[in-house]
Amino acid sequence: MKFQIEDVTVYFPYDHIYPEQHAYMVELKRALDAKGHCLLEMPTGTGKTIALLSLITSYALSKPSSLVKLLYCTRTVHEMEKTLAELKLLHRYQRLHLGDAARTLALGLSSRKNLCINPAVVSAENRDSVDAGCRKLTASWVRALAVENPNIPTCRFYEDYEKAASDAVLPPGVYTLQDLRAFGKEKEWCPYFLARHMVQFANVVVYSYQYLLDPKVAGIISKEMQRESVVVFDEAHNIDNVCIEALSVSVRRQTLEGATRNLNKMTQEIQRFKNTDAGRLRAEYNRLVDGLAQRGNLPIGDTWLSNPVLPDDILKQAVPGHIRKAESFVSLLRRLVQYLKGRLETENVEKEGPVAFVGSINAQVGIDQKTLRFCYDRLHSLMLTLEITDTDEFLHIQTICDFATLVGTYTRGFSIIIEPFDERMPHIPDPVLQLSCHDASLAIKPVFERFQSVVITSGTLSPIDLYPRLLNFNPVVSRSFTMSLTRDCICPMVLTRGSDQLPVSTKFDLRSDPGVERNYGRLLLEMVSVVPDGIVCFFVSYSYMDGIVNSWNETGILKEIMQHKLVFIETQDVVETTLALDNYRKACDCGRGAVFFSVARGKVAEGIDFDRHYGRLVIMFGVPFQYTLSRILLARLEYLLETFQIKEGDFLTFDALRQAAQCVGRVIRSKADYGMMIFADKRYSRHDKRSKLPGWILSHLRDAHLNLSTDMAVHIAREFLRKMAQPYDKTGGSGKKTLLSQEDLEKVGNGSLGEMLF
Amino acid sequence: MAIMLILFLICSELQKLHKQFVIGDILSETEFWATRMKLLDDKASRKPKQRVGLKSDMIFNVKPSSDGQSNRVTFNLTPEIIHQIFAEKPAVRQAYLTFVPSKMTEKDFWTKYWRAEYLHSTKNIVAAAAEAAEDEELAVFLKQDDILANEARRKIRRVDPTLDMEADEGDDYTHLPDHGLPRDGSKDVMDSQYEQYRRSFLQDLNRHAAVVLEGRAIDVESGDTRSVAEALARSKQVELANEASDGNVNQERLDRISRMAEIEDLQAPRDHPVAPLSIKDPRDYFDSQQANALKTFGDTLAGTKQMTSDLSTSEAYGSLRESISEIKAVGLRAPIVKSEVALKVLNGLNQNISSTKYQIGKNARESVLDRLPKITRDELLLHWTSIQELLKHFWSSYPITTTYLYTKVNLAIMMYCNVITSVSSFPLQWVLDECEIRIICGQTEGCHVKNLSKATGNILSKCHDPASTTDLKESQSDFRHQVSLLVQPMLQALDAAFAHYDADLQKRSAKSGERPNGLV
Repeated sequence: MKFQIEDVTVYFPYDHIYPEQHAYMVELKRALDAKGHCLLEMPTGTGKTIALLSLITSYALSKPSSLVKLLYCTRTVHEMEKTLAELKLLHRYQRLHLGDAARTLALGLSSRKNLCINPAVVSAENRDSVDAGCRKLTASWVRALAVENPNIPTCRFYEDYEKAASDAVLPPGVYTLQDLRAFGKEKEWCPYFLARHMVQFANVVVYSYQYLLDPKVAGIISKEMQRESVVVFDEAHNIDNVCIEALSVSVRRQTLEGATRNLNKMTQEIQRFKNTDAGRLRAEYNRLVDGLAQRGNLPIGDTWLSNPVLPDDILKQAVPGHIRKAESFVSLLRRLVQYLKGRLETENVEKEGPVAFVGSINAQVGIDQKTLRFCYDRLHSLMLTLEITDTDEFLHIQTICDFATLVGTYTRGFSIIIEPFDERMPHIPDPVLQLSCHDASLAIKPVFERFQSVVITSGTLSPIDLYPRLLNFNPVVSRSFTMSLTRDCICPMVLTRGSDQLPVSTKFDLRSDPGVERNYGRLLLEMVSVVPDGIVCFFVSYSYMDGIVNSWNETGILKEIMQHKLVFIETQDVVETTLALDNYRKACDCGRGAVFFSVARGKVAEGIDFDRHYGRLVIMFGVPFQYTLSRILLARLEYLLETFQIKEGDFLTFDALRQAAQCVGRVIRSKADYGMMIFADKRYSRHDKRSKLPGWILSHLRDAHLNLSTDMAVHIAREFLRKMAQPYDKTGGSGKKTLLSQEDLEKVGNGSLGEMLF
Repeated sequence: MAIMLILFLICSELQKLHKQFVIGDILSETEFWATRMKLLDDKASRKPKQRVGLKSDMIFNVKPSSDGQSNRVTFNLTPEIIHQIFAEKPAVRQAYLTFVPSKMTEKDFWTKYWRAEYLHSTKNIVAAAAEAAEDEELAVFLKQDDILANEARRKIRRVDPTLDMEADEGDDYTHLPDHGLPRDGSKDVMDSQYEQYRRSFLQDLNRHAAVVLEGRAIDVESGDTRSVAEALARSKQVELANEASDGNVNQERLDRISRMAEIEDLQAPRDHPVAPLSIKDPRDYFDSQQANALKTFGDTLAGTKQMTSDLSTSEAYGSLRESISEIKAVGLRAPIVKSEVALKVLNGLNQNISSTKYQIGKNARESVLDRLPKITRDELLLHWTSIQELLKHFWSSYPITTTYLYTKVNLAIMMYCNVITSVSSFPLQWVLDECEIRIICGQTEGCHVKNLSKATGNILSKCHDPASTTDLKESQSDFRHQVSLLVQPMLQALDAAFAHYDADLQKRSAKSGERPNGLV
């Protein structure tokens, strides 16, 4: 359908639209017009992604002169694929109506591991070896050597790509990673470098958060993007954690040992170069005198990452004199590693701020703040000079330098915590030095500054006023949408007691109680016999899941569950988890039915949908609080209290409930879908916890469902499933319209639509 | 003989046939059994052999039994358990094929296996590693399964990209170790030397469910461990080859993704791709359809009968005339018939059609046959089977090469006539209304059995006996059509046989005019 929002003609690839999608687009349009940031919460299952994509692409189409480009950030690669699949639908529709005027280039961008088509390289185990394998074949010096010596292997895809030079372009279209690989195979061009190159010309780029948030990456990938670009962070309820992680580093004993090995190797290399090619080292020295900004001229295969966190003037400055010489830089790093080793020897937990830490480095090994700040870039310059291709071997020293740069750059919002052992296993010495970032706004600040519109959206952003504080920005639009349902297709319940009327909870004093474990088991057992197709269970942590599954196995509950449905489990091995998910879907497709056990903060909870028959019921066992004894968390809470006056308890509850809401929200994909959600913990019945759930869940949580026991829940589930299986009128029939057609939209002007909705 | 008796016990129908033909001296004992045996064999092999899937339960996850006095424990392994172990743990299967019996006995093998399992269950990885270092065969069980790992690597490439979490692993552009905040669970770093001995129950569960989902790949029922292992290994190779050969899986996957990307209720319902209906056992299928249809049929039956009797002929004629004249005057309206009426008629017809089909059904619990008096039904069925039996013998005797066969055919033909006479004697004479003429022809022309015409005469007279017919008609007129339909194939088969017999006889007499009695 095609409709008008103010001056923009929106192309929407379906015959109908939900009223909230329309309202969402209107708000989004306002934010784009105001050239400001916005924060939008809309329940899962209302088609956020397609609304976003169709509005922004239509906006760009209606203003061909503007440089509106969409940078769409997803958290995971599979979400990227899903987004691109929706974009394909949209693009097909736009082509149908606009013809060639709708020509756009949209592509996904990922690492070499996901894009490489050279069989010799991509077969490597992990991404680091793929990167290194690629560099070994494509680095400029390797290729220069290969010209003289044909025995040196190069990558034919890269060579062909280079030969094609400016002819190597992607025709307009929507490219998923798979499409990119297929295109690369067909043309024999390296898809990775092609994609990297095409990013500048693409109208839509879909990539992961890191490409914008991690300063090490953002500088290289995203520096070309125009200010007019619209940046979207989808599923952004966790964005503060992603930001924090991007700037946190931990150093262990193994890291330091590895770094020492790296430094020895580098010393040897320097010696070798001194004997054979001293001019090279001198050239590097001269380049460094001119300043870091010069690095832009390096060939694309060699590029390293700049650090956009550094203010521009520093980039233009000369690198401090005493680290320009390769030997002196290496010996400086040795001193740093030695110092860190010394700090790890501690027997007590230590915590200090970056300023004190830098002061102590300066006092003990004589490295000042400014020098630390240059470490990361200086190291990469040196590695290039030394023609190091096996970069996967040099990860440790990179970690150390990254650490040094971060410590040298920020004076607030960080703390350095040294723990001699893990709290949970005090008898095993495992010293770790953590530089943890507490301020999420630091990483995202450059993004807000560089781009004129940043859209942060998710199904769970409640309370919506907290995010601007955490991320330190001023949205021009900040709204939370409710869901207009044709029928009550979601059924949240709070289960507080087992069939024996004893309370269930994962609270610390109750969680390992056999009675609670049994009650949880009985709950699942009752449910598997009632609910068809797929059931998803979320546990509060891996260790808890492991424990409870083992205990169910011993008591025979698991065996009984398996009589009804197959059991699949998320493990820490992603390959295995992926296969388990695949099998889970197969089992749901073929009607066998299955249960999937997952973890609330795990990878599955982050981005896998359990819509339709893949999830008719989600059970959230317990409240997924963070591990509250973690010192990093405590330090962050302290920081939040000092800076934003956010109380510890409030933040923890907010964080736990957004995770829980996120987990259960995965069951709904559209209004035709239906699903139940069980919050199985007595703490959910308390108002202070429950009220933190997003509005669209709360509005369906009836008072009668607030304090259930297992048998009552089973009864409700039966009723609900019976009711949902009936046919119904999709458009909502009389009263509120929940599905609008083109005529509806034309009839009702933009103004009165809002009244219709609410 | 013993088998014969058993068969008679099982199937009284067979006994009756035997009595009729063998004792009645129409067929010899061997002839009777020759065809019968084949049928029985056929039946045996045709018996629906349901492929049994694997048990959902992890049966090998058993606790050993102990005698309570010593530290000795006992495991009971059944072929089922072994099959499951081999299917879920290819490394064990591989080890079995290499070690047994060249290196160790089967018993030793399983002892080692359970020892390894015990070590796993203690979750003491260091101890497991130490044991493995001493005993390389034991190490096979303790280490992670390489075959599985390879399989996983192969499968992960074919996985739906919208699920592929592996692609995430290190999608961040610069991937440095120890970045980010330690998450729950990632804490337990372990020395790499022990890494390969790590295995969790959760992994086993996933593997188990995957194998159960795949279903039983092989059809070995024997308890021979080795053959099971070999068959499983073979089936894996076949699977591998299949995967390599089918290329359009990729396309299918892409289509599927784009289908999944759509939001279903925003879109007008799309045409579902048409899948050809393949009914493996039509009889089963129609029976089940019939059962469904009959439920509603039973409800409406009374109503429809009522309706037909309500209208007198003249009334019906009048209404027809009326509507015709109306059409003449007004012309055709868009819906010629009211849609509800059309639906009703269609339903009625459907039920009729499917119900007649069903009459031949064996479990005629609700069929029309069942509404007949039991004795009538039994008789009808008996005639049906005996005609079938005779026809079988009749056709099997062609081409006629010996006198023996010739006499047999003649005998058979005679028997038909007998059968038909006996048919005539059962009380549903009206069935014969339709076939009387044919019977007469068959009897008089085909074989010159005089008494048959007498019998027919009897039948006919009975048929025309007003008292009995009206009685029948009143009570069971509804079934009349259906029963005659039921008898129809029987008659057709008979007609064909008669026709063939006549043609053959004529040919024969033409060839050797002087020998009307056929071959020497």
